[in-house]
Amino acid sequence: MGAGYSFNLRVLLPYFSDLGWGAVVTLELSVLAILISFPLGLIGALMRLSGNKVSRGLATTYVEAVRNIPILVLLYILFYALPAYGVPIGAFTAGMLGLAINSTAYTTEIFRGGFAAIPAAQYEAARALGLRPIPIFLQVIFPQVFRVVLPTLGNQIVSVVLASAQASIIGVGELTYETQSIGSKTFRYFELFGLAALFYIACVQLIAVFWRLFTRGAARTLSAR
Amino acid sequence: MISSGHFLGYVVLLLKGAVVTLELSLGGLVIGSVLGLVLGLMRRSRFGGLRALALLYIEALRSTPFVILLFFIYYALPLALNLDIPPYLAAISALSLHCAAYMAEVVRSGIDAVVKGQWEAAYALGLTYRRVLGLVVLPQALRIMVPPTIGVYISTLKDSSLASIIGFVELLGQGMAVRESNVGRNTTDILLAVAIGYFIMCYSLSRLGRYVERRTQQKSRAVAEAGERLSAVVLSPGGV
Repeated sequence: MGAGYSFNLRVLLPYFSDLGWGAVVTLELSVLAILISFPLGLIGALMRLSGNKVSRGLATTYVEAVRNIPILVLLYILFYALPAYGVPIGAFTAGMLGLAINSTAYTTEIFRGGFAAIPAAQYEAARALGLRPIPIFLQVIFPQVFRVVLPTLGNQIVSVVLASAQASIIGVGELTYETQSIGSKTFRYFELFGLAALFYIACVQLIAVFWRLFTRGAARTLSAR
Repeated sequence: MISSGHFLGYVVLLLKGAVVTLELSLGGLVIGSVLGLVLGLMRRSRFGGLRALALLYIEALRSTPFVILLFFIYYALPLALNLDIPPYLAAISALSLHCAAYMAEVVRSGIDAVVKGQWEAAYALGLTYRRVLGLVVLPQALRIMVPPTIGVYISTLKDSSLASIIGFVELLGQGMAVRESNVGRNTTDILLAVAIGYFIMCYSLSRLGRYVERRTQQKSRAVAEAGERLSAVVLSPGGV
């Protein structure tokens, strides 16, 4: 540490509640984006695998377009362009939608990989047993797909939490935004960004541990059926 | 909308920005790959201390948003160290440090993909650790590492768009500057042009990655088949 700068966390005490609320918004943003994108990703994967050329083309175009554009550009388009066409949109909604749109593309690919991992014999065997298409999907295929994709979905949750920091740039009052705004008042950037980094690291590690337990539990439940 | 005469001028600016984006992200990838190679080798070192250190770095960097790292270098380090860090230096340092954590994992899995028998055979021939690594393992690992490295380049290229928020003018920075010089007008077309710019760069890279991956697989299959034929001949009773 250079001359004139000394580590001091006490200066930040009055701002701890702001940081805490910022962290809550970070979590809200991430949870909503995940809850929207996971089911949409499943639908996207079914579209990519369907026999219908149009739905396959749509889903493929969506995935390729979104995965090859930075999230920040997507956030700017939502936040600045939609109001220009008379669609009023707040920062939080734009941030959440941007994260969800991005995450849907990746989740589509994750589910697609899961379906690809199921051998065709599973479909044939289920059909030979006289099962109809919907039970084949719900009772035979989906439980297996679910088990294949669970670990990768955990990585996707982590990606969404990390990406949510970019919502600060369009003014969503989440943790990174609060960190920066308190920094501009106190100039305690070193402590602030250190704390924020620790929060994200703790979050990610907790998600990883929790998800591993969840995956193991789910695998046991599914194989017990 | 911006009138078409102006728009052409803006496209030239955006193209310049795209070149800067390519340079910035390539710089981050190159420095990050060098650091990543060191970290990846540390992960497979004989010394527990080095392994732990590398793991700590990789986990910490991969669990921190890139924006936080960038802000830390741009806002916190100059105050703490009494240094002047210009946006360009902050952006390329952050990209390199971030990229290094991901490249370390690419290097580690590349080394792991080389079968153990290769190490054992090379040691049995009396080669030292350094020679085994440099002459036997790394040349094989490097070929496996090319497609995932292209993947890391794509995400580094997308991350480099965040350099625009600390005032570095790359593709997105140019786009935002054009937006600001057209206050009050609908500048959706500029944002879309920026998006298309990123799409063209990233999509071409991902196609290249897929092509290289397919070729690597074909080549390694050919090598494996040649090996099988050879051992079939050598091991078959009566031999050649």
